[in-house]
Amino acid sequence: MNSSIIGQDWFQNTLLSNQPEIEKSKVLAVNNIQAKARNQLKHLVMPNRKQETWRYTDLNSLYEKMFKLNDRKTIDAIDVDEWIFPEQESYRLVMVNGRFNPQLSSLEGLSDRIIISAFSQLSAELQFDAARILQTINSFESDAFAQMNRSLFSDGFYIHVPKNTWIEKPIEIAYVNHSSDDQVLSQPSSLIILENDAQAKVVERYMSLDEAEYFFNGTSDIVLKKNAHLKHYRIQQESHNAYHLSRVALKQKNGSIYKNVNLALGGCWSRMDIQTAFEGQQASCDLQGVYTVRDQQYNDIHIDVKHQQPNCTSQEKFRGIIHGKGRAVFDGRILVSKDAQKTDAQLSNKNLLLVDDAEINTKPQLEIYADDVKCSHGTTVGKINPEHMFYLRARGIPEDQAYRMLCLGFAEQVLEAIEDKPIQNYIHGLLSNLL
Amino acid sequence: MLSIKDLHVSVEGKDILKGLNLEVKPGEVHAIMGPNGSGKSTMAHILAGRDGYELIKGSILYQDQDLFDLSVEERAQRGIFLAMQYPVELPGVNNMTFLKESMNSIRRVNGQDELDAVAFMKLVKEKAALVELPEKLLKRDVNSGFSGGEKKRNEILQMALLEPKLGILDETDSGLDIDALRVVANGVNALRSPQRSMIVVTHYQRLLDYIKPDVVHVLANGRIVRSGGHSLALELEEKGYGWILEEDAA
Ligand SMILES: Nc1ncnc2c1ncn2[C@@H]1O[C@H](COP(=O)(O)OP(=O)(O)O)[C@@H](O)[C@H]1O
Ligand SMILES: [Mg+2]
Repeated sequence: MNSSIIGQDWFQNTLLSNQPEIEKSKVLAVNNIQAKARNQLKHLVMPNRKQETWRYTDLNSLYEKMFKLNDRKTIDAIDVDEWIFPEQESYRLVMVNGRFNPQLSSLEGLSDRIIISAFSQLSAELQFDAARILQTINSFESDAFAQMNRSLFSDGFYIHVPKNTWIEKPIEIAYVNHSSDDQVLSQPSSLIILENDAQAKVVERYMSLDEAEYFFNGTSDIVLKKNAHLKHYRIQQESHNAYHLSRVALKQKNGSIYKNVNLALGGCWSRMDIQTAFEGQQASCDLQGVYTVRDQQYNDIHIDVKHQQPNCTSQEKFRGIIHGKGRAVFDGRILVSKDAQKTDAQLSNKNLLLVDDAEINTKPQLEIYADDVKCSHGTTVGKINPEHMFYLRARGIPEDQAYRMLCLGFAEQVLEAIEDKPIQNYIHGLLSNLL
Repeated sequence: MLSIKDLHVSVEGKDILKGLNLEVKPGEVHAIMGPNGSGKSTMAHILAGRDGYELIKGSILYQDQDLFDLSVEERAQRGIFLAMQYPVELPGVNNMTFLKESMNSIRRVNGQDELDAVAFMKLVKEKAALVELPEKLLKRDVNSGFSGGEKKRNEILQMALLEPKLGILDETDSGLDIDALRVVANGVNALRSPQRSMIVVTHYQRLLDYIKPDVVHVLANGRIVRSGGHSLALELEEKGYGWILEEDAA
């Protein structure tokens, strides 16, 4: 069968089988979002390998499966015991199988000027506000998976930090999968807005309590107003059998600073899309990440940075550790339009290839239409240097440990920039367990 | 301690060592001198277990055990330490973490308790002061961006921490100024004991002024062609290697 038809059928079936669940959503604001997305989807085809940005992606294995939104029965007695920050020193938001879980969340001591909440917990008025903002941003308009996320909109998080407010405590968000009879479809959205001069730190973690097969299809929309400052960590540690698709859409006003680190470790199939756009000058956007690939794993990072304003800075720095016979895709695009003078845009993607039969597709694309810019890109695929191994072993360090140290050392080129020690330590732990 | 007998080694089809014999007893310090390319580093690497060399024939016993039965790390764990001629930079590997991992790996297999962070920190600071390595270099990545002299000091620091039974220094003094040379010499002298042996590969007799080796060997044409006391080093410094090579050819 034609691959584009397979995708369309899959989506229609997914929609049909989840219809009763979607009907239950009585919130008008959300209904509007759903309706608009469904309308939009009429003009889109589900991705297939004939589309350039999906050519490396094995979508058929996804389209062979049926995923279902979780019904409303609350899942109790689950225990997320692994947190990066202690409860008193952070705000916690937890979603289990795409549903907000108030028991596991904690927002103690939160000022009522600040909104940190699940959509479903907001007043009708605030829901309308958030929905309106989402509609205005209208991110990933032509991405069928993004529209699918909206068309089956279930719940999400809304974070709004008012002018001049600095949230000292990190906000730790956990999207947890917990297996049930069906293969779960999780479609959360988050909307993060930092008003002028506001600051916050958000960690989004994607995880599972077991080795279940499920499909996570989430979107995070972020707006940084003037001089706002957001640190945004994303840690994808899904089950080995998970399908993970997550998107970040970022808009930045004058002088805002976005620092982002992504870890893409789990899943059998994982893709992260990040799109950023400057809507003011003197803003900076720093995207970094580490991805790993084990046997049979597909791990994909797609980045699209648009410089349409002068005097902005962007950096993309990604490191891949390919330790199994899978496939890594890194697609980093930087567009500098003709008015975006004095742009400073750097892109680097390095891969450490530890096996023979893995595939790495790394594709940096710089499209530059301004003449007074500082742009560079570099990608490499390398192996462990035997002299480095010898040096460590000659100091008594066993071979497997030496190997791990060198792999972590490679990732360290990204991780050393993490200013939050607990996060850095947590990630170190995750990587050492993996390698 | 160490007994090398009739060692023949080639690299990429080229014969480098052609019948090398060397006996080192506990407590002895041996200096090895010789022209560039004569195989001094090859010998040092063979002792440490580095890949890429072909053993044609010969034997090496270390503490009465066949050295070729031991992996690189096992040799280090049993007390062989090679201060490399060209220490590599390890980007992303923190020097302190590396030193601790090295030390504890060796302690573990030898049935000693691992040092905790506090005890290790105290020890490493003490030894760093001894080799005059600025403490800030402990926080950096291993050898990354270190000057030539700093890399050599870092090697001696590792030797001071690991307290090997057989220390091999491969031109650790090359390119060093007099202060750094003193540090290297002190590093060797501080470890001198009746149980410990050293092989010091050098081009300069100046280092030997400080170290005072028990024996000086000349490695040329793939063999030890002459052995003698400290005076041999002085003679080499004055007359070069030409006369020895001629006598050897005759
Ligand atoms: N990896 C290698 N490949 C090819 N030739 C080598 C290699 N290593 C050493 N050699 C050669 O072996 C000989 C001895 O080298 P080396 O042991 O480094 O000498 P020394 O340390 O005495 O200066 C030299 O001729 C050198 O060119
Ligand atoms: Mg040499």
